[in-house]
Amino acid sequence: MLNQIAFYLFGGISIICGLGVVSASNPIYVVLWLLGALIAISGIFFSAGAELLGALQLMVYVVAIAVFYILIITAVPWRKLHKNEQHNRLIGVTVLPFIALLYVEAFIVGISGVSITKNKIIETITKNYGNAEVIGIKLFSTYFWAFELMSVLLLISMIGAILLGRKEEKTYD
Amino acid sequence: MIESIVSKLLVQNVSQYFILSFILLGIGLFGMMVRKNLITILMSLELALNSVNIAFVGIDRLNHLIDGEIFALFTIALAAAEAAVGLGIILSLFRLRKAENVNEIIDLKG
Amino acid sequence: MQSLILLFPLLSFITISLFGRRIGDFASGVINATAGILSFIVALISMLSMKEPEDIVFYKFLPLSNTSVDIGIYIDKLSITTTVTVTFVASVIFVYAIGYMRYLFGKWTFKFFAYFSLFLFSMLLILLGDSLILMFFGWEGVGLASYLLIGYFHEEKFATKASLEAFVMNRIGDWSFILGIIYTFWLFGTLSLPKLFENANYVPGITLATLLLFGGAVGKSGQLPLHTWLPNAMAGPTPVSALLHAATMVAAGVYMVARLYPIFSLSQTTLSYIAITGVVTMLFAALVATVHDDIKKIIAFSTMSQLAIMFTALGMGFPTAAMFHLTTHAFFKALLFLAAGAVITGLHHHTQNIFEMGGLKKYMPITFSAFMIGALALSGFPPFAGYFSKDAIVSLIMDKNTLVATLILVTSMLTAYYITREAFVVFLGEGHYHEEPHEVEPIMSFPMLILSFLSLMGGFLLWNYFSYMNSSIEPPSSLMAHSIYGIIVAILGISFSYLLYVKKIVDPNTLYELFKPIHTLVKSQFYTEYIYHNIIAKGYLAISRLIYKAVDRIIIDGFVNGVASATSNYGKPISRLQNGKLNYYALYMLYGVVCVFLLLILVIFKGGILNG
Repeated sequence: MLNQIAFYLFGGISIICGLGVVSASNPIYVVLWLLGALIAISGIFFSAGAELLGALQLMVYVVAIAVFYILIITAVPWRKLHKNEQHNRLIGVTVLPFIALLYVEAFIVGISGVSITKNKIIETITKNYGNAEVIGIKLFSTYFWAFELMSVLLLISMIGAILLGRKEEKTYD
Repeated sequence: MIESIVSKLLVQNVSQYFILSFILLGIGLFGMMVRKNLITILMSLELALNSVNIAFVGIDRLNHLIDGEIFALFTIALAAAEAAVGLGIILSLFRLRKAENVNEIIDLKG
Repeated sequence: MQSLILLFPLLSFITISLFGRRIGDFASGVINATAGILSFIVALISMLSMKEPEDIVFYKFLPLSNTSVDIGIYIDKLSITTTVTVTFVASVIFVYAIGYMRYLFGKWTFKFFAYFSLFLFSMLLILLGDSLILMFFGWEGVGLASYLLIGYFHEEKFATKASLEAFVMNRIGDWSFILGIIYTFWLFGTLSLPKLFENANYVPGITLATLLLFGGAVGKSGQLPLHTWLPNAMAGPTPVSALLHAATMVAAGVYMVARLYPIFSLSQTTLSYIAITGVVTMLFAALVATVHDDIKKIIAFSTMSQLAIMFTALGMGFPTAAMFHLTTHAFFKALLFLAAGAVITGLHHHTQNIFEMGGLKKYMPITFSAFMIGALALSGFPPFAGYFSKDAIVSLIMDKNTLVATLILVTSMLTAYYITREAFVVFLGEGHYHEEPHEVEPIMSFPMLILSFLSLMGGFLLWNYFSYMNSSIEPPSSLMAHSIYGIIVAILGISFSYLLYVKKIVDPNTLYELFKPIHTLVKSQFYTEYIYHNIIAKGYLAISRLIYKAVDRIIIDGFVNGVASATSNYGKPISRLQNGKLNYYALYMLYGVVCVFLLLILVIFKGGILNG
């Protein structure tokens, strides 16, 4: 019961914040709306029982990425922003029917009941040891390779971001 | 008729995760298409990536698996890397071209 | 061991091609001649040690389901005797060629010797190959060598044209030949010679097959209607004319018919056609030779005529007689060409027109005697070799068909006339020269001496040859029954030309004015050369040029360019979809996703994959 209330609450907040992301004019306001959406989604994770994921979402997204966005917004010297020039209204109008069509199609596919198999083993481990433990077991056994590759990917992107963000040094002799 | 459909949808109340995920995905897509500022486009993209995470968790709830959460972990890492590199590119673009609007970087035209 | 016969010329060819530049021209010539002599020795040993026909298979080239195409050699009496003759004459000419080409040493003459080795190898493939496929490889190989050798003086336009003409006419013959081979394979199911001889029974359709095979011989041996290349082929150096267009290559056609005689003899129609071709060509060539004045062309026409006599003999059913005439003809025709080459060399390549020569007897006595021996042998004067072989043919045919034998006698008279005419004009009488002509060096006169000896003595091998070949059709007793006619016509011809050109009882110029229209008609080979070159060849070129302008440029190029421009014109509007803005790209991705979902719905509800 509590689960349901939490889900609906956080779900509603996330949708409202999403709409805010799309429609806000000032980039700082967009960041604020995004922060709200991220925190709400983290709440959904907690209510669904994925505790580690929810915590990671908070740490990585909310703290690191959103702050990174704010850093870039303030580091770029903007010209004067006009309120009415922030959205491409023509596209917005033409695209709405297609998004609606996409929803209808997804609905039909969902109704027709394409499904996958069920498994009860995880439930017992989760009951005894908790969510983080199970993720740990799976991460370091079955998905070990993917784990290592992801870390290499992060390293590469870190180097790339540093290189891209450097100021060009003019060296004339 | 609507009752039956709704009850079928909510027969295990984890299917609501999918609906939420879809709604957020649509919003994020819409945002990517509508917004003009490069940074705000990236932020809508973050929103869409998060909706995928919600879907992964929903699958886990439905089928008592744990692999979905692991994929969601990877998705978060990936989104972080992509945000870093993308923002680096935007920074360079701004330094070279003074362009923060999508309309000002149309070199791939034609 | 018998494979060595083929191996020596092949090795010589490879060696000279690869190392000729380094080892020099004289060494290349020596390697060439040595290869020829070694082949001859091995062939002689094989002939003397041969017991019965054997088929030596080297390699199963193409094993098919019920037959197989092999690479191997077939040694029997016919092939080994012809091989001995060919390698002997080839060796002699190779030695001569070293002396003849000496004036060109230093200008990459090793190429010449390489081509010569290639030629000998291909010729031996024709003679010794044990299947029609190998014979065809050799056939093409000698055609290639002929092209390379005729066009050896490649800076003279006439020589290149002549070599191309030779190759193209040869090709027309080869087209007929390959069709004949295919049809033979279709009829008999095998290409291997021993098996063909076993299965040689009459089947309907054999007439067409043998006619097609004979077409190849027509092209290779320069019979009508594929004859205009032979006189023009004299543009090559004289050793080439001697070897290819007198003794061996043109004889390949005769050899092929004699080799496949078990098959040819099944179709009387083909044999009659061969005889008709032979008769027409021999008269034609003999008439034309009487009015030409190039020292080598006269001899070329005499080759055409003598080959026609051999084909007549084959058509009348006497293959052994034809092959014996081939052997003796190889000797004296090569001798004639070598002597002509000696004359040309002695005059330092100034002229080849016999009316600009004269009185060479006192300057070049050895060449004179060699030429006279060859001329008398060709005329059929006893006891030279030609007398025996030609009159064997006449005697055998006389019993069967008097008209054909008479025509051969007429041809013999004309032959005696024109060849002695050439001899008298060149060697007797008076001549005016800027430089004094000199006798040729021993390396050239020694081969001539050898061939002179054989032209003198070779005829006496007649009875040995026939009994060795053990042919049932030609009883050795009747071989010289009617030889008296041959002697009479030879004497008539020789005396006629003697009176005309030595004693000059009638001024040749007034005779010329009298017979001028006939002279023009005959000299131009009854206008065949004009028709072939100007009407057929130029007409074909004109048609193809027209087609190029109308069809190729307008229709085909227009089509291809039209496709290109249509693609470009349709692509431009589509490329405008890419306007460079990110939002639009995301929009297009959305469109794509929508379509994919639509497909998914269709699949689910039309029940393709999920319900199947």
